Amino acid sequence: MTLRITQGMMNIQLIRNLNNNLARIDNRQNQLATGRKINRPSDDPVGITYSLRYRSELTINAQYQRNLDMALTWLDFTDSMLNEAGNILHRAYELAIRGSNGTNPPEALYAIKQEIDELYAQMVEVANSQLNGKYVFNGQKTDVKPYDAANAAQAVTDSYQIQFEVIQGVLVPINLTGNDVFGAPNDPMNTFQILKDLSNALGNNNHTAVKNLSEKIQQRMDAILAFRSEIGARVNRVELIESRLKDMNVHLNSLQAKTEDADMAELITKLKMDENVYNASLAVGARVITPSLVDFLK
Amino acid sequence: MRSTFHGLETAKRSLFTQQTALHTTGHNIANANTVGYSRQVVNMVASRPMEAVGMSRSQVPGQLGTGVEFSSITRIRERFLDDQYRNENKSLGSWTIQKDTLEKLEAIMNEPSETGLRSVIDNFWKAWSDLSKDPENITSRKIVRETAIALADAFNLTAKQLNDLSNDLTENIAVKTTEINSIVSAIANLNWQIQRLEGLGNNANDLRDQRDLLTDQLSRIVNITVQETPQGYTINMGNINLVDGQQAAVLTADALEDAFASGDLNSGEIYGLIVSRDRYVADYKNQLDQMANAIANGPVTITIPAGTVLPEGTVLNGITYTGANRTLTSDLTVTVNGLNGLHRLGYTLESPLSAGVDFFTAKPGYSTITAESFQLNPVIANDPTKIATSMRTEGTGADERVIKGNNQLALLISQLRETPFTFTGPGSVISSGTIDDYFRSVVGQLGVQAQEANRQADNQQIILNQVEMRRQSVSSVSLDEEMANLIRFQHAYNAAARNMTAIDEMLDRIINGMGIVGR
Repeated sequence: MTLRITQGMMNIQLIRNLNNNLARIDNRQNQLATGRKINRPSDDPVGITYSLRYRSELTINAQYQRNLDMALTWLDFTDSMLNEAGNILHRAYELAIRGSNGTNPPEALYAIKQEIDELYAQMVEVANSQLNGKYVFNGQKTDVKPYDAANAAQAVTDSYQIQFEVIQGVLVPINLTGNDVFGAPNDPMNTFQILKDLSNALGNNNHTAVKNLSEKIQQRMDAILAFRSEIGARVNRVELIESRLKDMNVHLNSLQAKTEDADMAELITKLKMDENVYNASLAVGARVITPSLVDFLK
Repeated sequence: MRSTFHGLETAKRSLFTQQTALHTTGHNIANANTVGYSRQVVNMVASRPMEAVGMSRSQVPGQLGTGVEFSSITRIRERFLDDQYRNENKSLGSWTIQKDTLEKLEAIMNEPSETGLRSVIDNFWKAWSDLSKDPENITSRKIVRETAIALADAFNLTAKQLNDLSNDLTENIAVKTTEINSIVSAIANLNWQIQRLEGLGNNANDLRDQRDLLTDQLSRIVNITVQETPQGYTINMGNINLVDGQQAAVLTADALEDAFASGDLNSGEIYGLIVSRDRYVADYKNQLDQMANAIANGPVTITIPAGTVLPEGTVLNGITYTGANRTLTSDLTVTVNGLNGLHRLGYTLESPLSAGVDFFTAKPGYSTITAESFQLNPVIANDPTKIATSMRTEGTGADERVIKGNNQLALLISQLRETPFTFTGPGSVISSGTIDDYFRSVVGQLGVQAQEANRQADNQQIILNQVEMRRQSVSSVSLDEEMANLIRFQHAYNAAARNMTAIDEMLDRIINGMGIVGR
């Protein structure tokens, strides 16, 4: 039996079809407006788990970037402090060389001694330098001033490292401890001891001692240079991690886009098609719904 | 021997019958848009011929017809399609409700977005990472506190939304129960009316339409089986009788929950409501509880580096750390109970030395930490200096002081983001994974369930549409058809009238024109 069709059925069918077409257009417009093809978990249950992962990783990478910036700040600051310490020792070396010359009159030696004392004070200041209110050369005891001007040679600094997490699972130490850089107490090579001894030797007109001490200054300068290259190596490492992080971000962004983002060209084409279908269904509706036999009976 | 006025009677019957047909056509046209209406037809039969077989029958050859009469007015309807419709309707009811609930759950989970629970958790770990760079700083501590409060708020809010949804569903069950009761009593009433009318030999077409419409509505709400008996429709839900003749059951929401438990209620909107509430909403609430509890107390394995000074009396791996052995000489890998267990291993910056307290606690009146009761420990909320970051001290006895620059605890906590927790609670979506993993699995599961419900509801709608179309095809009023009938019956009526005029003229001839020959 062929299906008997009534006006009511056509009406219902038309409304249903119009509704379906509109729903499709609505869905496409939603995707276009948000620019995403996943707008709720049921749009793509597998995709969304990836999408959430990418989003979290991008967020945390931004955090790692901030940690990296902070680590670089610390390392740069330490490096410039070491540079300053090197300059001080360099000046002290020049003065020692000049002071070791036996032809200097006591007045000249005294003037040199005075400058050495200034350099000593300056060295203590460098060793006590602070970044953001924290003493950088005192390990984890960042709130304790490590060096006391009167007895700097005997100061014991904290030997622990401060570590930043710069990428997942990677901890980078960002500080140097004072006893390593300037020498431990009772170490004959202790910077402060050398400067103090130098000052005393100059005061006593002891040219030989001054000459010996100038060699020690030379060695300490080498040691500080070695620490500067260690800091440089750490900076390199951090910068390497930074570039890796940036690569990861690019990668993650493109993965996220692939998972989440709507294909605009395709969407707009499809939207246009859907609009055509919708218009057609409206036109057909207008033609089909109106006439019945009533219109043709007089 | 036929009567003189036989023709008049035949014409009269024809006029009446065609008129009835015209009226019925008018009734059909009038109800073309009435929901549940089935078109009616007048069943015409030729009326009984003049003479039955018998001794006194006349000897005239040939049976003379006596015209037309209608035996009944019936509605055009197929029982089979009704049964099919009701069968599909219950599944549609069930899936539509489940689909709606899952859509609401998707809205509550609010993913993908930058404002959902996931972002709040991310922010919390980020705040710890910031604090690890600057452990001496009170501002960073305050930020940790604020993000922790935001995290607690997000858990509380989501739990509240889930509770509200659950309550809404319970309320809906009550509303639907009232609806069932009113439908069921209306059907019982119609059963009575129909029985009375049909006892007199008529077809109660329009009342039957109403009864079928009500039965259709009932079939959306619960699963029913319908049997037609002389007393009317007997309607059962599983083994539970809803309507028997004039008797209508009065249901309560509790009775329906029992029917759900016993399996008598196995489809329809109410089934969908109970499943939504007890399966979906309850499950997602449980998952959130698991997550909240895991963050606070979930077993997690961490490595504490050498040099760490554990708080006095700490027990790890069954060893009590006290006195000099509090300082670890080598790295120690242990399982601690969540953020709380870890936080207790560190020290705040306060003097005298004080160890960390539980970071998250249950709100007053709750015995365990759930999404609902999750809160930042009020001690910390009131005073962010109670946040512990350091794991080292120096000195002994009363002189023992914390090393403020040590950021070990802040580092370990910020690393919890990537550390797998053990989820021990019943029904956990995964047994081990990071908090992020867990949340992703929950959202993924929700997506799969919602997708399935959407698909089922759509399918069911399509099937129901097809059945409905078949039913409409049989029963609904076609205006074209009715107009054609109108013309048919009108012509028949006109012709009958013409016929009567002809008889009239014939009789006139006999009565007034005969016997006057030659006048």
